[in-house]
Amino acid sequence: MFKLAAKAIEIANKYKVDFGDVRVIEKRSQNLSVKNGEINGLTDQTTLGYGIRVLYQGAWGFASGSRMTERAVADTALKAIAIAKASGLLMAGRVRLAPEPAYTDFWQTPFLKDPFAVPVETKLDLLFRIDAVLRGNKKIRVAASEMRFLRERQWHMTTEGSRIEQVQLSSGASLSATAVQNGDVQTRSYPCTHGGQTLAGGWEVIEAMNMLDHAEQVREEALALLAASVCPAGVRDLIISGNQLALQIHESVGHASELDRVLGYEESYAGSSFATTEKLGKFRYGSPIVNLVADATLPGGLATAGYDDDAVKAQRWHIIKDGILSGYMTNREFCGKIGMKRSWGSCRADGYSCIPITRICNLSLMPGSTPLEQLVGEVRDGIMMENNMSWSIDQKRLNFQFGCEIGWLIKNGKKTRMVKNPTYQGITPEFWGSCDAIADHGEWRLWGVANCGKGQPGQTAMMCHGSSPARFRKVKIGMHG
Amino acid sequence: MKNTETVCKKIFRLAGGAQCEVMASIHSSALTRFADNVISQNVASSSATFTVRLLDNGRTVKLNFNQTDDASLKRAVSSGLEILKKQKKVPGLLPLAKPRPIPAGKNLYFKETAELSPLYRAERAAELAKACKRNGQTAYGTFENGASELVIANNLGVFARHRETSAVHSVTVRDRDGFGWAEYSAFDVHEIPFARLNDTARAKAAASRSPREIKPGRYTVILEPQAASDLLCYLAVYGFDGQLYNEGRSFICGKLGKKVLSPLLSFGDNALDGAAPGMPFDYEGQPRTKAALVENGVIIAPVHDRSTARAAKTASTGHALPQPSDMGPIPLNLAVKPGSGTLEDLIKGTERGILVTQFHYTNMLKEQLVEMTGMTRNGTFMVENGKITFPVKNLRFTQNMAEAFNDVEAVSGQAVPCAAWGVMSCPAFRLKNFNFSSSTKF
Repeated sequence: MFKLAAKAIEIANKYKVDFGDVRVIEKRSQNLSVKNGEINGLTDQTTLGYGIRVLYQGAWGFASGSRMTERAVADTALKAIAIAKASGLLMAGRVRLAPEPAYTDFWQTPFLKDPFAVPVETKLDLLFRIDAVLRGNKKIRVAASEMRFLRERQWHMTTEGSRIEQVQLSSGASLSATAVQNGDVQTRSYPCTHGGQTLAGGWEVIEAMNMLDHAEQVREEALALLAASVCPAGVRDLIISGNQLALQIHESVGHASELDRVLGYEESYAGSSFATTEKLGKFRYGSPIVNLVADATLPGGLATAGYDDDAVKAQRWHIIKDGILSGYMTNREFCGKIGMKRSWGSCRADGYSCIPITRICNLSLMPGSTPLEQLVGEVRDGIMMENNMSWSIDQKRLNFQFGCEIGWLIKNGKKTRMVKNPTYQGITPEFWGSCDAIADHGEWRLWGVANCGKGQPGQTAMMCHGSSPARFRKVKIGMHG
Repeated sequence: MKNTETVCKKIFRLAGGAQCEVMASIHSSALTRFADNVISQNVASSSATFTVRLLDNGRTVKLNFNQTDDASLKRAVSSGLEILKKQKKVPGLLPLAKPRPIPAGKNLYFKETAELSPLYRAERAAELAKACKRNGQTAYGTFENGASELVIANNLGVFARHRETSAVHSVTVRDRDGFGWAEYSAFDVHEIPFARLNDTARAKAAASRSPREIKPGRYTVILEPQAASDLLCYLAVYGFDGQLYNEGRSFICGKLGKKVLSPLLSFGDNALDGAAPGMPFDYEGQPRTKAALVENGVIIAPVHDRSTARAAKTASTGHALPQPSDMGPIPLNLAVKPGSGTLEDLIKGTERGILVTQFHYTNMLKEQLVEMTGMTRNGTFMVENGKITFPVKNLRFTQNMAEAFNDVEAVSGQAVPCAAWGVMSCPAFRLKNFNFSSSTKF
């Protein structure tokens, strides 16, 4: 593939571009799902194509194609240059990229068992066995279980001389039961909601979930939610666990720290950020125990790779250190705006047909030192919520509201009865400022976000957020329409 | 076209005795994005993807690929046939659809729109940016155009083809701490009123400077068309999905023929010749029908694909998504019936209320209640005694939409195209007792 990619670099050099790169990407994915005793989907996907980016006289152009001939690649490169010329009509100054050494390298996700080599019948057999357990009660109207596997192989060349081949592999699965009775609908999931858990790795990721062992509990908790009372409204202490804390990190810190958004380049769509650049190194984002670390080298992380799509080598850095805003997600174009000589390397594209943009890296809340029992034991009047059901946050990432799958009231240090439809609201820095305890490393888990949307045209990216359950004091709970 | 047909025939041959459906999607698009009064991103992409569904004796598999040389086709279909052999038979598996006559539909393809140059797009961005610069404002937005062709064919004789173009001008203007927004999408670029959109966004940004904080609570709201459509499309999609209806998960369950919503509210789905036209067939290659969903507040019926229709013992309305699908059939060409008067008339008739330009990050809390949350954005104003009196800081709503649209006070007489899950035509609305649950800092 490098031979084909070289044609784009040849054209870029011929036109003396400031910078040019080409990414040839072969994507293979497999999705299997079983619903109510039937195969709901079994899809095998293979796509191949290339995206060419040029910086011509200080202005960007990008074009992509999937006809795998040298002539088609050359035509696409010329199209990218023509687009860059048009961009030059409306520019403030020349775009300059932060320098990065040229690399020749191969990197791949470590894995034990190739999920594409595991027979389809083995996968379906597990899903059907889970399905049978989930359907063990007539009130369960929807029993759903699924698996997904993705392998993306990329050949990346730049006019600066980088020649990088990377293979990223991820595996994911979920199961859920939806119970319906008298107009009420309640769903319980494992390991988490929104398509379940996805991590970098092979079939061993699926095996580690022990899905079948959890099916009965999922079914019974979905039924119990029907009988549970609705989460009462009020201000109380909140302990967040499951993928809800991952979503809280994602929405209120991850997106807020994307430097392109901070600088206004997402204003027309997803919005900007309150975490503006003059706050860097000074602004109290959370309490002193809050440490959030971006890490493109994190084992199992969906954003883990050898290099980002700016051909910048993977790094690890603080976004929030001891509660203070300390870093951003950057690319080579914008990092200079905060005085950085080198990008932290968080620029990625969704496949071959999209231009690389600033993305959330793996971003994790570092564990605290409090045992989980103590986290609960120190709450007089509170609630524990698990797994995200709905999310919404304003365009500066300040006012948010989340809904969770399940909650348990906490009274005088004891987890008591289950409640349904729990929700909470807050303002980002006030909320993280109210974090007074984080469970210890024994509770720390990595949660995958496999469907993060951003940009125009829309792009999807994957990343992980690690966390232990954390406690937040005096939170507004239980909003309903 | 001819190439697509040839590829379909090759795939049918390779499928042998299995039932085989091909969905070919040929797409080209370009988008110029601007921010801070400069072009920040300028891209073009083209793709041709083929999705093949094979069914054989109660077994099924779906393949997706974008390389169509003979070797790639053979490899893809052979691997699919191998996967079929490894499955257990599902006795009730729905076979592929048989051909039915497809209505003509509207012409939605405009060559000039398909072929706009990057320079044309840059010039449209520059017009707004220059006006903003002159007035101390900042422009953000996108101008995009594209063309797509979709073919649904199967080896039982279905062959349906649709092509359309699109152009969207979407602008956001910042004026210090004020924001304004306007957008228009069309099949034909010549329908886009560029100057009016730019002026609207700029005027709204200027008017929304120095917003004041107000107490959250229940207010009368005047929803401009985009804000109203954002809520109504959830009501339509989650309420009238035949699968959710069959599973007892929709707010219309047990309410067909009953007045559940305001008598001022009527909407339906009409891809053929309505105000929000589209593809005249669905993703099973079945003819789209005109579906009345709500008439004067009375719930008519959900929409169906062949699978949900079979379960409900009725006929498909031609609203299938690509099969199989986690989501059920949904209305994608919604037209809301206009009322009378203008947006200004809605404002004039308001004693005290809030005017909302647009919502941001709307999401579902409870689907069976269509209980939602979201934020206001890009121009939120207090209205008192029939006049806009001051801009307000953005508010979060938490609201049951079935209740909200039972509290309609007035509907404006002009519907406009709005961005929704598909295509949607929607007027402005005035609703009573809309619940704002909190506010934000700007």
